Amino acid sequence: MRRSLILAGLAVLAVPGLALAQAPAAESHGGLIGPYSVLVAGFAMAFAAGLCALGQGKAVASAVDAMARQPGAAARIQTAMIIGLALIESLAIYVLVVAMILLFVQPIK
Amino acid sequence: MDVIEHAPIFRLPFFFWPGYVPDHVTYTWLVMIVLAGLAFAASLNVQRVPSGLQNFFEVVLEQFQQLIDDVMGPEGRPFLPLIATLGLVILSLNLLGLVPGMNGPTTNLNTTAAYALVVFFSYHYIGVRAQGLGTYLKHFMGPVWWLAPLMFPIEIISHLARPLSLTLRLFGNMVGGHILLAIIFFLMGLQGLIGWALSGSAIGAVVGGLGGLVMIVFTVGFLYPLKILVSFLQAFVFVMLTMLYIAGAIEHAEHHGSEPHPAHH
Repeated sequence: MRRSLILAGLAVLAVPGLALAQAPAAESHGGLIGPYSVLVAGFAMAFAAGLCALGQGKAVASAVDAMARQPGAAARIQTAMIIGLALIESLAIYVLVVAMILLFVQPIK
Repeated sequence: MDVIEHAPIFRLPFFFWPGYVPDHVTYTWLVMIVLAGLAFAASLNVQRVPSGLQNFFEVVLEQFQQLIDDVMGPEGRPFLPLIATLGLVILSLNLLGLVPGMNGPTTNLNTTAAYALVVFFSYHYIGVRAQGLGTYLKHFMGPVWWLAPLMFPIEIISHLARPLSLTLRLFGNMVGGHILLAIIFFLMGLQGLIGWALSGSAIGAVVGGLGGLVMIVFTVGFLYPLKILVSFLQAFVFVMLTMLYIAGAIEHAEHHGSEPHPAHH
């Protein structure tokens, strides 16, 4: 039951790739890599954005908590929070760069 | 990517490879000229009670100095020129990308990599100058000697990852915002909606006009303030990380220099 569901899901994922690949088959550089790279870029960005949002939400939640407990130290906590957010965000930015390389540069064809 | 770039402004004679000046270099020149001109004009007639441009620049530099005092303490004061220059230049380059028709130079990987490399080499130089080459290299070895073979590659990789992450963070944030703007403007059909509104048919004027208006209000009222915020925030983060790296390169000296001495003697 579960295996058939997984297979069906994979088939659904594969259909647009096949459809896209077969339409311009004449001038295409060949293979499914082009369509799949588009698919992968979108899904990678979606996963990265979601998980990055979870991490940043946790960081902001505890920073706001600390600021509410100690309003005197708010400025320092805010600085530390912004640095932490930038470091967390850079991981999602890496994925964005990889997605842009897949979409625009297309090193593998 | 053609949507968010335009043809190069300056072309060169054929024997200069690659035949043109890339646009991010041109716009960086523009920012350099404007900033240098402003700084020169502000320092032309320095007075004890500042007014006008001199007042503005003193306020800006005092903010930077406050930031340095908060993060690095008083020993960070000598690095005010480096840090304030980086902050002002990166902020101006970020904001230049918001002017319609201009490219932000920070949406090009070469620009951001140049600043990240400047930071990378300068904080190593500052660290070596502050405590000597041998002592500085000792920090890469970890706390105990038998951990050195493990710690050394890890430290090298983590130091090499710093310019990479500085580069990609600034570049990715700026170019992501630009792609967002380009998608809203071009791919969601602003041109088509405006063309529909101007086509003369009544329903086209209503639908196209309303749609175009909603899109323009959304862009100007929401995306532009967001991008201005991101421009300031990314310049701040870049400067802040630069200060932390320099502080880390200096601070090691005091830790290792002052702590073992009472124990040995």
